[in-house]
Amino acid sequence: MAATLAEHRARQRRAAALYWALALLATAFFFFPVFWMFASAFKSDAVSSTYPPVFLFAPSLENFAHLFTEAGAGRALWNSFFIVTLSTLLAMIAGTMAAYALARFDLRGKNTLALEILSIRMLPPIVSVIPLFMIARWLGVFDTPWLLIAVYTLTGLPFVVWIMRVFIQDIPQSVEEAAMIDGCGRIEAFWRVTLPLLLPGLAATMVIVFMFAWNEFLLASLLTSSEAKTLPVIAANAIKPKAIAFGLACAAGVVMSVPVIVLVLMMQKYLVQGLTLGAVKG
Amino acid sequence: MAGASVARAAQGATRAQRAGERWAPWILLAPTLVIMNVVGVYPLLHSLWVSFTGYKPSDPNAHQGWVGLKNYAEAMTDGQFWHAVLLTGAFTFASVALSLVLAVLMAILFNRPLPGFVLMRSVILIPMLITPIAVGLIWRIMMMPELGVLNYLLGFVGLGPFQWGSSRTTALVSVILVDVWQWTPFMFIIIFAGLKSLPRSPFESAQIDGASAWQTFWQVTVPMLRPVIIIAVLLRMIDALRTYDTIYIITRGGPDFATDVISIYLQRVNFRFFDLGYGSALSWITMILILIVVLIFVNLTGFLRTVNEKEAR
Repeated sequence: MAATLAEHRARQRRAAALYWALALLATAFFFFPVFWMFASAFKSDAVSSTYPPVFLFAPSLENFAHLFTEAGAGRALWNSFFIVTLSTLLAMIAGTMAAYALARFDLRGKNTLALEILSIRMLPPIVSVIPLFMIARWLGVFDTPWLLIAVYTLTGLPFVVWIMRVFIQDIPQSVEEAAMIDGCGRIEAFWRVTLPLLLPGLAATMVIVFMFAWNEFLLASLLTSSEAKTLPVIAANAIKPKAIAFGLACAAGVVMSVPVIVLVLMMQKYLVQGLTLGAVKG
Repeated sequence: MAGASVARAAQGATRAQRAGERWAPWILLAPTLVIMNVVGVYPLLHSLWVSFTGYKPSDPNAHQGWVGLKNYAEAMTDGQFWHAVLLTGAFTFASVALSLVLAVLMAILFNRPLPGFVLMRSVILIPMLITPIAVGLIWRIMMMPELGVLNYLLGFVGLGPFQWGSSRTTALVSVILVDVWQWTPFMFIIIFAGLKSLPRSPFESAQIDGASAWQTFWQVTVPMLRPVIIIAVLLRMIDALRTYDTIYIITRGGPDFATDVISIYLQRVNFRFFDLGYGSALSWITMILILIVVLIFVNLTGFLRTVNEKEAR
């Protein structure tokens, strides 16, 4: 009896060790390229072009200096920040208003409308880029931040409308009605009662919308030429006709990725619900 | 008298409120509808119109006006385009299938209360957060045949050296690998969340009935996870069909068109040749093809669900 118990324990420990090893292997696979990007960003040119690759080296900030001087990343960083922040805010405001209407009012055809908004999520950007390009030329907004702000507000909307609709539906309507009986108007009831309860959901949605706009490349590269270039467009320039500027590419990757990694890991609780547009609870 | 005016004011307020209630949803929806129609629908309709013209700013001698269905007829026999369609299909199927299998296995693995698993789960999320352009750059650097760290590391286990994106035979597999790397975490956290929210009791009864792990997986876990898996696959499929950034960086559609997916081909037609009339027609065909694929998927999965329910009865 005691022997079998000990055997059972040993088997369990072996199984745990196996699972642990598999998990470590998976983590290594997904983490190694990230590590390599960060490591290469801090390698000087002399270190990064040696073979075999070097794992231990004296870190250097030369790539970042290069990125912000010659490659013009300072301007692009500001463009990215301005365009993405403004479009995220616009999408949040417009989308939350629409989500409230869809969640709280009886409207004929509101499910069709919600599906139409969702279909924006399906649209391949390469399809709408040609007409946008032509219209922007005519209106004289080509290569200005305003064009990208309008486009990213649009692409953010399906996320905001669908996620916020679920979050608003999760708050019982009776809470708002109680405030309205107490003499608040609907707007005041929303502002005082519903909005505070929505804040975590709003923050999580904002992070997701921010991430998708911040990482977007195709529209940014085809709808700008010099003035309104965003960070991904500058980063793609690290590929020269003959070779790749390793250090520059990785430094740009680090500058682009760190804000999103920090924001999302802070908001992990609602990440699944956000990514699935409210369909799966995390 | 004061009371009467208050009562009248109150009456006025409710009337105004009622009228407000009727219009309120539309006022709330207005900004979204305006943005959707101006930035979304109008450009699409415009592109539909352009697709029936020969508009090509790069070639002033070409007939720029109405050409009817000529562009669509041309697209039907455009071998390059249909090659891109098939390639996109293969890329999407391989990438989604592989990341689904990996994600399910990982979700089951990480659903154990072992030390360090919470941290590892967070670390595994990182690839999906990294800007796709940066993902393309880092993998292109790691995949360099002579200098790359990938061939160096694989050398230790006796594999390679591979040519990765520089060879016709391995280029497609390479970009699929990168896509799987970046987006498996996306599938993983969704499926993991689904797995965690499942009730315990069906698993307990399966254990009592003496089901093997294999049987439990196929007969309890998979059916209960179905709705979550369908959502994850649908979202992943939509994104894989329009993959552009990583392929643009790693192979630019080459070598010899081995990774020339639809979005890369469309970019070339529109922005290198400025053949906007023809490019718009191809865009519309692409959109219709994607719609068909999504509808087939939705119907197929819905169809399977009804079959399962009938079987259960």
